[in-house]
Amino acid sequence: MEPMVTEPQVLRAGEPDDGRVQSATSPAPVRTVSKSPTRIALARLRRDRIAMICAAICAVYVLIAIFAPLLAGLEGQNASDLHQNLIDEFGFPTIGSTGEHWFGVEPRLGRDLFARWVYGARPSLIVAVAVTTITTIIGVVVGLVAGFSGGWVDRVLSWLIDLVLSLPYLLFAIASSAVLVAIFGGAGGAGSEDVAQIRFVSLICVLSFFGWASLARLVRGQVLSLREREFVAAAKVLGIPTRQVLFKELLPNLVAPIVVSVSLALPGYVVAEAGLTVLGAGLIEPTPSWGLTISAATTYYRADPLYLWLPVLGITILVLALSLLGDAVRDAFDPRTRR
Amino acid sequence: MLIYILRRIASAVSVVIVTLVASFGLFFVAPTDPAGTICGQRCTPERYADISASLNLDEPVVQQVGDYLKGLAVGRTYHSGGAAIDCDAPCLGYSYTLGQPVTKLIGQALPITVSIVLGGAVVYLIIGILAGVVAARRRGTYLDRLMVGTSLGINAVPYFVVALLVSLYATFLPHSAYHPLLENPLTWAGGLLAAWLTLGLANAASYTRYSRASMIETLGEDYIRTARAKGISERRVVYRHGLRAAITPIATIFGVDLAIQLTGAIFTEAMFGLPGLGVLTLRAFNQYDLPVLMAGVLVGSVVLVVMNLLVDILYTILDPRVRLG
Repeated sequence: MEPMVTEPQVLRAGEPDDGRVQSATSPAPVRTVSKSPTRIALARLRRDRIAMICAAICAVYVLIAIFAPLLAGLEGQNASDLHQNLIDEFGFPTIGSTGEHWFGVEPRLGRDLFARWVYGARPSLIVAVAVTTITTIIGVVVGLVAGFSGGWVDRVLSWLIDLVLSLPYLLFAIASSAVLVAIFGGAGGAGSEDVAQIRFVSLICVLSFFGWASLARLVRGQVLSLREREFVAAAKVLGIPTRQVLFKELLPNLVAPIVVSVSLALPGYVVAEAGLTVLGAGLIEPTPSWGLTISAATTYYRADPLYLWLPVLGITILVLALSLLGDAVRDAFDPRTRR
Repeated sequence: MLIYILRRIASAVSVVIVTLVASFGLFFVAPTDPAGTICGQRCTPERYADISASLNLDEPVVQQVGDYLKGLAVGRTYHSGGAAIDCDAPCLGYSYTLGQPVTKLIGQALPITVSIVLGGAVVYLIIGILAGVVAARRRGTYLDRLMVGTSLGINAVPYFVVALLVSLYATFLPHSAYHPLLENPLTWAGGLLAAWLTLGLANAASYTRYSRASMIETLGEDYIRTARAKGISERRVVYRHGLRAAITPIATIFGVDLAIQLTGAIFTEAMFGLPGLGVLTLRAFNQYDLPVLMAGVLVGSVVLVVMNLLVDILYTILDPRVRLG
């Protein structure tokens, strides 16, 4: 990022202290490395031990999701094979965890639990990352435009932001995903794979629809105060096109609030996906998902605790790591909030 | 002040109207077959015709919205299997899958949601504020750090996981079920206890942090020093002088939270099997019961908008420093 220096104390804090002294005494040009506020914040984050542990845990999850087929292959199973020979007549598995099925098999259907678990990391992460990306882009653009243009554009966009923020989120999410599914999947004959795919996309759409507004409001507020600053006035006087002022002059100053909002949004969407799925309003079979496994496992929680606890721990540890990392990122970018 | 309130009411009404029109458009005008989805899988042609005629699906969209609004104001009549069903005002539609007016269904569900949320609120306000005050008074001690750490930990665990695990494993609590308050207050409280404790303890974690922060700020004020200098007891300083001022920002957060919980208690309801507004909407989702879905969204947004309005107005009364033109 180009340093958009607005704070005098972060102006040039590059080469150790003698750098400035040298440049004052000797006329020879001294190469000074300017540190942007983002680099300072990242350096602060790197020193935070809890943040680094959480980042490592998140990285492990990403690796599990990417290499799910490989991990399942290592065990020699896949997520969709039914092992009916391992299921007794009451639907209970006859084996626990064995060398062949590391986490055992599902009651009733007999699918391999380890394979389901590693594949289950995928929808959680894909939904969370996709929704965070979409909402961040929409929120930033709407906030920039609303804050910078003012007038009726601002009034319309602000009203839209207020509207989305005052909708009953969960009720609306359930209702609108019903309609989305009816619109795209209602034309009978769609296989269960297709319907699962539609549910996947519609979940991302619904979560994105409700997610962008709070960031847009935040960005708009920041832009309102930034646009009165001298560097924006200077850019305008120079005749720089509005689009360039927005994205080259204003955006770099908004990196901190945007990064903080992204890092706090990610765990939120992991929870939203899993929560809606557990309720039956999110993803559906045959997508391997932790939420689905949890809702299926509640009937077997006494007979087969591992079945319930693996996805529960999967979600909880991921969310815990993401939230603590998010808190650490916020502290690094805005030291005033440090506890 | 009056102008401010009027302007807020106008914007609140505009939000409700847009929600109504948007959800109507979504559910009845989108390229789906509302009569078909309402009718369900075992649909006879007569029933299909009944539903189409009752919903005036052959009329222009504006007319349909008008009919819906008229139903809200003065009631309307639906036809099912040859019989006419009167739906009294405020009529939110007729659920063909359940064979009941939607208003009645909502009327049954709402008290359950309100009971859960208000009971939970009592738990988290008491525990959260007391814990926050204690933490603020012992700021920096081991106890303070333990409380803040615990509260961060509780908040980082997804709420639905907490609710699920409590509902499965906390079998020592009375069995969850809803009994009307007026019939027998004791069974009412017993059936809701598990839900109250779950909702309450999970939220108490964040209220501990809010009230701790607010209390630390207040205890640093000059008038607290003056109160101490007068020589009144520490207890009185903290609770009479400190807490009373510190509680204003918490009241605002509480108002907003209450609104969100009233429309989003769905996890608590679903995990503990309490048929409130969220579970009603969820059931409607599973059966494509469009009138119920739409009414759920509509009632939810009215609750949310009204609560936000009340919070804004109450805030100007609670805190005289806020004066809006």
